[in-house]
Amino acid sequence: MRRFWPLIVLALGGLFWWGMQRPDMNALPSVLIGRPAPDFTLPVMFPYRASWGQSFQLSKHLGKKPVIVNIWASWCKPACYDEAPHLQAAWQEYQDRVLFIVIDAQEQDGLTFIRLFGLAFPQVFDPLGTVGVDYGMYGVPETLLINREDRVAGRHADPLDPAGFDKLIQKVL
Amino acid sequence: MIQVTVFFQAGFKMAERKTTPRDSLVSWLPRAAAIAVGVVALLFSGALAQASVGPPPDLSPEVFQIAKTLRCPVCQGESAAESNSGVATEMRRIIAEQLAQGKTAGEIRQFFVARYGDWILYEPPKRGLTLWVWFSPLVGLGVLALVLWRYLAAARSRSVGADNVSTEELERAEASLSSKTEDQ
Repeated sequence: MRRFWPLIVLALGGLFWWGMQRPDMNALPSVLIGRPAPDFTLPVMFPYRASWGQSFQLSKHLGKKPVIVNIWASWCKPACYDEAPHLQAAWQEYQDRVLFIVIDAQEQDGLTFIRLFGLAFPQVFDPLGTVGVDYGMYGVPETLLINREDRVAGRHADPLDPAGFDKLIQKVL
Repeated sequence: MIQVTVFFQAGFKMAERKTTPRDSLVSWLPRAAAIAVGVVALLFSGALAQASVGPPPDLSPEVFQIAKTLRCPVCQGESAAESNSGVATEMRRIIAEQLAQGKTAGEIRQFFVARYGDWILYEPPKRGLTLWVWFSPLVGLGVLALVLWRYLAAARSRSVGADNVSTEELERAEASLSSKTEDQ
């Protein structure tokens, strides 16, 4: 029996090593990667209606330039609060090349949040959370990337920092 | 509220009709009854109003049976049936909607697998890499049985070895032991 111990230790060690090989624990694998981005039509939040209309339909904007879909909620502290300034900075840097659309689940608190961070990109309101389910959302904040071919090209759970936004967006530029 | 007012008015009219100077206690009874009926009607109408603005009626048990087999994606160790998070609530709503459309439990589970992968299922599918999850208890039992069998076989062979000692060898051993005892 003793001669099997090295094999058992090797097998367990191999399993441990394999488990540690995930390069980024937050880059959760998504089954949607490479698949067509699920369409949605959601009401635009009040401050953005003058520029974007009453509702936003994703499919009308696909194919022109890559899209960043960021899902957040104003109750998600501190993660969403940490990410918001970086999201605004990323929009300022990439707004000509990438469309940013942000989905919030709580409109009333969301407006306070938007004012707090001066978020300039369009925000929509998903009262039921249907879009979150359609995109296989694990939590907030979560950022999805859609390429010019209308397919999901990337997903990141947890807040992104400036380098994270750059890395994600560079995949499709 | 209209009903409540009508109850009160009817009660007071009854009281007016029945009041006599002879018996003030009896004269107050219809009025008290009218007030009681009015209060009950008020409470009842309040309860009805509450029910109309409250949460929708409970979903069917079938919804929860399916939700129980799905993880709540934003929770720690809770199924979509147990959690009150927004995502779990929406998952239950989607399940109810799809059941109403005539979809089977398997089709509904597949809907969520298409969005979250097999991870969303509490029971991993019996195929591919996840097969080891189903077979590992059997493999574990097999290894345990093997170890036990080898241990018992070794113990049995030791016991059989002791039985095979010849009488001469036993006598020699006893003599050796007794001589050692005498020397001491």
